[in-house]
Amino acid sequence: MSRVGAAVLAGAREYRRTPVLLALFVVLPLYAVVVFRAATPDASVTLHLDSTVTTSMDAVMVSVMTPMAGALLAGIAGLFLTRSAADADGRLVLAGVRPGEMILARLGLLAGVSALGTGVAVAASLFTFDPVQPGWFVAGALLVALIYGMLGVAVGTVLSRLAGVYVLLFGPMVDVFLYQNPLGTETPAVAALLPAHYPLDVAMNAAFTGGADPGTFALGVGYLLAVAGLATAVLARTLR
Amino acid sequence: MSRLTAATRAHARSFVRDPVNLAFLFVFPPVVVQVYGQAMERFPELSLGSDPGTVGSIAGTLFATAFVAGLIGLFQLLSARRGDERLLIAGFGRSSLLASRLVTLVAATLVVAAVSLTVLSLGTDVAAPGLAYAALVAGGLTYGLIGVLVGTLLPRDLEGSLVLVFLADMDSALSSGVMAVDTAVADVLPLHHPHAAFSEAVTEGSIAAGDARAVVAYLLVLLAAAFFAHRWVAGDGGERA
Repeated sequence: MSRVGAAVLAGAREYRRTPVLLALFVVLPLYAVVVFRAATPDASVTLHLDSTVTTSMDAVMVSVMTPMAGALLAGIAGLFLTRSAADADGRLVLAGVRPGEMILARLGLLAGVSALGTGVAVAASLFTFDPVQPGWFVAGALLVALIYGMLGVAVGTVLSRLAGVYVLLFGPMVDVFLYQNPLGTETPAVAALLPAHYPLDVAMNAAFTGGADPGTFALGVGYLLAVAGLATAVLARTLR
Repeated sequence: MSRLTAATRAHARSFVRDPVNLAFLFVFPPVVVQVYGQAMERFPELSLGSDPGTVGSIAGTLFATAFVAGLIGLFQLLSARRGDERLLIAGFGRSSLLASRLVTLVAATLVVAAVSLTVLSLGTDVAAPGLAYAALVAGGLTYGLIGVLVGTLLPRDLEGSLVLVFLADMDSALSSGVMAVDTAVADVLPLHHPHAAFSEAVTEGSIAAGDARAVVAYLLVLLAAAFFAHRWVAGDGGERA
């Protein structure tokens, strides 16, 4: 097995040994998708996407909360992977593992956790919600999770575990639920700068209009590459 | 200096030594009040007949106060687990220790409620500031005591914090009127009556007697539960994992 593969497996084992992280795989989709869906009234609402759409309130809630659940899971995972691995990774580098291999292993594991978290959230949502373009909806939701996962890595290098968790809980909640929510009639200027802006636009149009825009998705990928570069830089600094 | 004063001072010093606590007291409420207000202005369909920015600001003010007070309650209880049994052995009375924890919780809640209400009043006309402050403090104490109970059942900082975040967030969403929920469960959530009382005080200048009674009754029940929780944690001088 390659050193990168071994490091990914070791990280996954460490992740598995942290009960709170495993519990979040169940609790977050339940909380964000199932509970909110149950509490949402039967009502029709108008969405202001690339075209104006009238749909049910519960479909909107589920479609917004699904990417949010993935973002919460990935952000907290990024934070924990960074904080729990800092000491051990430094020793592995001293033992001869290249820093690039360690960073690749950490970010690879994070990508896997993000995909798994998004998959669980999407699976929970599909019981009550049927997106027009499921593939693009999942892609948008996954992109939100990956971006927040990378931000979790960066946050993990500057904040304590508890403070970082608060930032990574309230950040996606405010960004996804308040600023990117398609129920809003206008988009504030700050919303376009926030991490979930482009991926949510893709996911919401995929969910309700069938008009997901590959150009917007590409902008989201660009945002991801930028925050991945930031995460790589801060991880590299911890391995020096 | 009485033992109550000494214990309260020690808890307060311990609290303010952590920069995260200070950030929650003085930075978190202004950010939440502003963000909720600005963001909710985008949702005219959810305003339920009121100005959406005001609905959002009121919800944010109560949420910030309740959540921060809940965290303080949680950490007071966790701190009690670590230290109060030793103080009992050293001769402090159980009632003094509980009272010192509660005084610290009340003092912090008074501060965070004052910060939150000040920020709200910068952008919203508060019809009856005194009543609004009382309702806000009551909402904060409600969650402060819930934090104590969460700390009893789940004595870990991270896990307890997560429970409080999700509980307060869901409670705020369902109690604030932002979502016209169709479940009766919303009526018995901890923030339901504090939100009604706070909203009435801000917008109408009075509080319905029924809401005031419900808030007080909720607090008394939680206070009794917190007493038993503290007794369980520090009651016999033995460590409870």
